[in-house]
Amino acid sequence: MWRYTLRRLAFLPLILIGVSVLTFVLLRVLPGQEPAVLLAGTGASQEQIDAINDSLGLNRPIVVQYFDWLGDVARGDLGETYQGRRDIGAEVKRRFPASAELVLLSLAVSVAVGTSFGVISAVMRNSPVDYVVRLAAVLGQSVPDFFLLILLIILPSILWNYAAPIGGYVAPWDDPWRNVRIYLPPSIILGIGGAAGIMRLQRTMMLEVLRSDYVRTARAKGLRSTSVIVGHAFRNTLTPLVTVIGSSFTLVFAGSVIAERVMSIDGLGVFFLTSVISRDFPVIQFLAIYTAAVVVLVNLIVDLSYAYFDPRVVYR
Amino acid sequence: MATDATAALGSFDEYGMAPRSSRWAELGRHARRNPLGVIALIIVVAFISLGAVQTVSHEVFDTAIAPYDPREINAPEQLQGPSWDHPFGTNQAGNDLFSRILAGARISFLIGFIAVFLGFVPGAFLGIVSGYYQRWLDYVIQRSGEAWTAFPVLFLYLAFITAMGQGLRTIAIVVAISSVFGGSRVLRAVALVTKQNEYITAAKALGASELRILFRHVIPNVMPVIIVTASSIFAVSVLAESALSFLGIGVEPGTPSWGIDLNEGLENGRFFPHLVIFPGLAISIVVLGLNLLGDTLRDILDPRLRGTLN
Repeated sequence: MWRYTLRRLAFLPLILIGVSVLTFVLLRVLPGQEPAVLLAGTGASQEQIDAINDSLGLNRPIVVQYFDWLGDVARGDLGETYQGRRDIGAEVKRRFPASAELVLLSLAVSVAVGTSFGVISAVMRNSPVDYVVRLAAVLGQSVPDFFLLILLIILPSILWNYAAPIGGYVAPWDDPWRNVRIYLPPSIILGIGGAAGIMRLQRTMMLEVLRSDYVRTARAKGLRSTSVIVGHAFRNTLTPLVTVIGSSFTLVFAGSVIAERVMSIDGLGVFFLTSVISRDFPVIQFLAIYTAAVVVLVNLIVDLSYAYFDPRVVYR
Repeated sequence: MATDATAALGSFDEYGMAPRSSRWAELGRHARRNPLGVIALIIVVAFISLGAVQTVSHEVFDTAIAPYDPREINAPEQLQGPSWDHPFGTNQAGNDLFSRILAGARISFLIGFIAVFLGFVPGAFLGIVSGYYQRWLDYVIQRSGEAWTAFPVLFLYLAFITAMGQGLRTIAIVVAISSVFGGSRVLRAVALVTKQNEYITAAKALGASELRILFRHVIPNVMPVIIVTASSIFAVSVLAESALSFLGIGVEPGTPSWGIDLNEGLENGRFFPHLVIFPGLAISIVVLGLNLLGDTLRDILDPRLRGTLN
């Protein structure tokens, strides 16, 4: 398993260099608004634009720019944003906790609600409970989460004249109550929306597993039905479940753009969005390789976890 | 079709079998058993006809079919609540919201249509071929599909925006690529299972050509999966467009699109909830219709598939 892990990790630098070269060249070569033009604003003269290009170093050959940037990154200096000249490293550090907390909390709600209702629905198959849960799941997959989040903001203010605090970040250890008031409601809404997919998957897999011979054997030898369901059936549905959770887990590090935008949370998702719109090259570059690294590492961890959940899986 | 079916069934009477009901009676039975499916079908048919009509009207007359112009700024009429003249009220620019929602069906319809016919259908075909033959093509499609789906879709879309600017074309391309990979992944898995069937071996033994097996045996047998997956791809694409337009990185500002309407409502929604409620309901109802229709079709077309997808 260690050799397998090392082999997978050996590819990481290659992938990161590939992604960085690709974003670096594409940003500069493909047609699109020049950042200097956007920064200078409307009505700027060519001299002003040239001066900005000069100060950003954008008029040098691409190869020189790339190695200059690579050298800085290797020394731990991620550079400054074009807009406002802020340090990118500090900016990422500041925005990370808000993004991560929102996604982690909603993922926790999704997994808890999705798996438990998936199991209930499969065990009580074709009962009224099953129908209600399945209908709720279709609703959850259909109603856009940003619509629900907007309703979360406007409904309390219409009904009870109450405006929940939104935006900003307060660490849970500084002011737990305020943190909960900002992050818990949107996380529950997002989590329930995300639970729909997990619930449907969980139900399907449970139905499959409940039909299998070892479940019948477990029942036949007189095990209590809860230990059959939890210990034998549920345990064997974990592998696909981990795959699904893993693919959402990337967002813990990358941030959820839509939720951050609606809830006015200054996170990494919004950082990427605004940087793309204002063509803030150094930010886009860093977030691209950062996301690529997260995707590769999360996928590796998911793959390795298969061996833990299913002992038949062996990596060499 | 109905007469063909009954004529063919008539011959069974010679063997003493009870006459079977006609196609129409069968449809009626499904409809009675699935009232939700009927509602879904009505929603989807209404949405697709509205979208098609608006697309044609936009292309031919460069205007939408609606009681008011959905784009012209009309300041005196701005921010009115629902009334007889404006059943859904008016927005910040004074546009009739009902007209904007009618016109907005065009974008949702176009994106869903492109996703299904330019993305999903070719992708499904690729998936069937690669699952059936399993050569290098299979390897290439599967690996590139994995690389694509590894990244959050929004990041891929933002990358495309930096490369080619924002607009309907960019959304259409990203949604179509995602649908190619989505379709090929699902149909490949189904084709892998289908080719294990005895009737394929039988056809081979009878000397049928590979192409004949593919078109006469494999494709008809995976058709239910194609139809069901197409409806969910349509739903996901409608959602994706509305999310992007909501973020302000979708179709051009001012275009009638449900996502844009919802975004504009965000600012004043506290005081004028109709700005948020109607576009939000439009998206939710259409996507719900598509998802429910897919579920119902799955139950009807292939009971073995019940709950195996998604």
